[in-house]
Amino acid sequence: MKKKRLPSFVLNFSCLLIYVFLLAPIIVVLLSSLTTTEYIVFPPEGLTFRWYAELLEHPEFIHSLLLSILVAFLTAIIATAIGTLASLAIVRYEFKGKEAIVQLVGSPLLIPSVVFGVALLQFYSWIGLAASPLALVIGHIILTVPFVVRLVVASLVGFDRSIEQAALNLGAGPFKVFLQITLPIIKSGIIAGAIFAFITSFDDLTVALFIVSTDVVTLPVRIYTYMQYQYDPIITSISSIMILFTIVLMIIIERVLGVGKIFSSKNQ
Amino acid sequence: MSYLKIENLVKTYNKTEVVKKLSLEIKKGELMSFLGPSGCGKTTTLNMIAGFLDVDGGKIEVDNESVQHLPPNKREMGMVFQNYALFPHMTVFDNVAYGLKLRKVTKVEIKRRVQEVLEMVRLSGFEKRYPKELSGGQQQRVSLARALVIKPKVLLLDEPLSNLDAKLRQQMREEIVEIQKELGITTIFVTHDQEEALAISDRIAVMFEGRIEQVDTPADIYNHPETDFVSQFIGEVNRVRGKVLEVYENNKCKLFFYGSEQIVSIHSKQNSEIDFFIRPEKIQILTSPSNKGDEIKTIVERKMFLGPKTRYFLKIEDNHIVADISNTMINPNDIHQGSNVFAIWKPEDLLPSRKGR
Repeated sequence: MKKKRLPSFVLNFSCLLIYVFLLAPIIVVLLSSLTTTEYIVFPPEGLTFRWYAELLEHPEFIHSLLLSILVAFLTAIIATAIGTLASLAIVRYEFKGKEAIVQLVGSPLLIPSVVFGVALLQFYSWIGLAASPLALVIGHIILTVPFVVRLVVASLVGFDRSIEQAALNLGAGPFKVFLQITLPIIKSGIIAGAIFAFITSFDDLTVALFIVSTDVVTLPVRIYTYMQYQYDPIITSISSIMILFTIVLMIIIERVLGVGKIFSSKNQ
Repeated sequence: MSYLKIENLVKTYNKTEVVKKLSLEIKKGELMSFLGPSGCGKTTTLNMIAGFLDVDGGKIEVDNESVQHLPPNKREMGMVFQNYALFPHMTVFDNVAYGLKLRKVTKVEIKRRVQEVLEMVRLSGFEKRYPKELSGGQQQRVSLARALVIKPKVLLLDEPLSNLDAKLRQQMREEIVEIQKELGITTIFVTHDQEEALAISDRIAVMFEGRIEQVDTPADIYNHPETDFVSQFIGEVNRVRGKVLEVYENNKCKLFFYGSEQIVSIHSKQNSEIDFFIRPEKIQILTSPSNKGDEIKTIVERKMFLGPKTRYFLKIEDNHIVADISNTMINPNDIHQGSNVFAIWKPEDLLPSRKGR
């Protein structure tokens, strides 16, 4: 029996619609940052890079961008390390309180981030931790570890452990086995986790709002507070920079590590 | 001289002994199979030899050195896994070279030895492929090459052929024996497939419930099983019951089987009943009675054409037996369902059961 197949243009058309839906807001932001008007408008009226130049007169935006990158970078590294080790323990070992740890690790996904932000604020003032990049990083680690654990656990679940036994058998010590065999095989899960952690941290507004101070302000918070008083295309130009930065980052990772495989459903 | 010696090996899981005081000696260059149903402890034993499982008692010696305290990476054993266990992120060359790199062999030497072993498993030219680009049989060859290239003291094969299809399985097992004999490497081959074990082994250790039932050559395992389990597990058997009519000297008895009388070498008492096993191919069929009086009257219940032979399902009184008869001996068209035929067997082909003697 031959299955009736929809003509391929239906698939192509629906893909196109989805892409338009996903990309339209980004394109709107990018284009409206080029407007010559004093206010944000789409489609842009005229073309100018004036608002990008204007940014240089607002060094606080650049500082915030650098701070956001630093915080996101540290968060990604530490959360990935913690998440990977936690995943190994969760998937491979039986221990007391394992179920509790699984739930605990997953809980930041269930708690509204506003509640989490308030809790973090209370906790920091209780232990006397002032607003600092460190305070942000710790908050973001808690926020992002669940993503890392999810992705790494997924890559560990189907892992055939006789591959590790084979390496042991050939004479590799347990540490070498982990570095040369286990890690490369679950690499894609780990990198995906790190990317998620980076973007989640880079993007976070809600939690950061509770932690920032006048001199420690991440970019999303900076944009948000700026918007409350002014609504000029500086907003869209810095947003465009954020978008371009993310795109460049993805391209670099893709070039270096081949991330295309990571998110594709096909088995590499 | 035994090369690999296992003494009173014990493994316990949750207070149940899965390997019970197992002892075995394997000679240098010998191919020994561990054969048994799943759960008999054969893989557990292999994993203890390889070092993946701790022993809970007993000793493992290789070349007169005890190894049971060594971690797996220090045992110098080559293992081939059921699911190949190739490193998916490495090419065929890198997979095979992995063990040599760990041993700090020079690059030139690595290249030479990898090529040599790939030639042996007939995979020259596949160096740059990744495991996912190979068929199951090819993957298992890589796995074999990877284990052999380090020149291990013992080669351990854990059901290496069970993921392959029947034709390939037969071809691969012949290749494995060929390579094993060529290298003269001491080998343990774990399998649940008795035909495989019979075909390739120098000796077979038949295992059941954590014990070794019998260690012998394939022919002796098949023809002279020492326990009921071995009789029933290896090949197929019919169970027939005889009654002792008379006891003679030199351990001979006259037995009564379903209306016929036979003299069998066995030690027993008058009037006791003895169960015997007999293999289907050891039973002959006659269409008319012989004149010796040792034939047993049966009715053909069913027949099954199997190519070179035909399997006849026979009813003897209230017992059912099967007989495999070569089609060159009897034309299956001559025997019909429901016809009366006569079964005979040689007394020496009867394998006495240990139970109920």
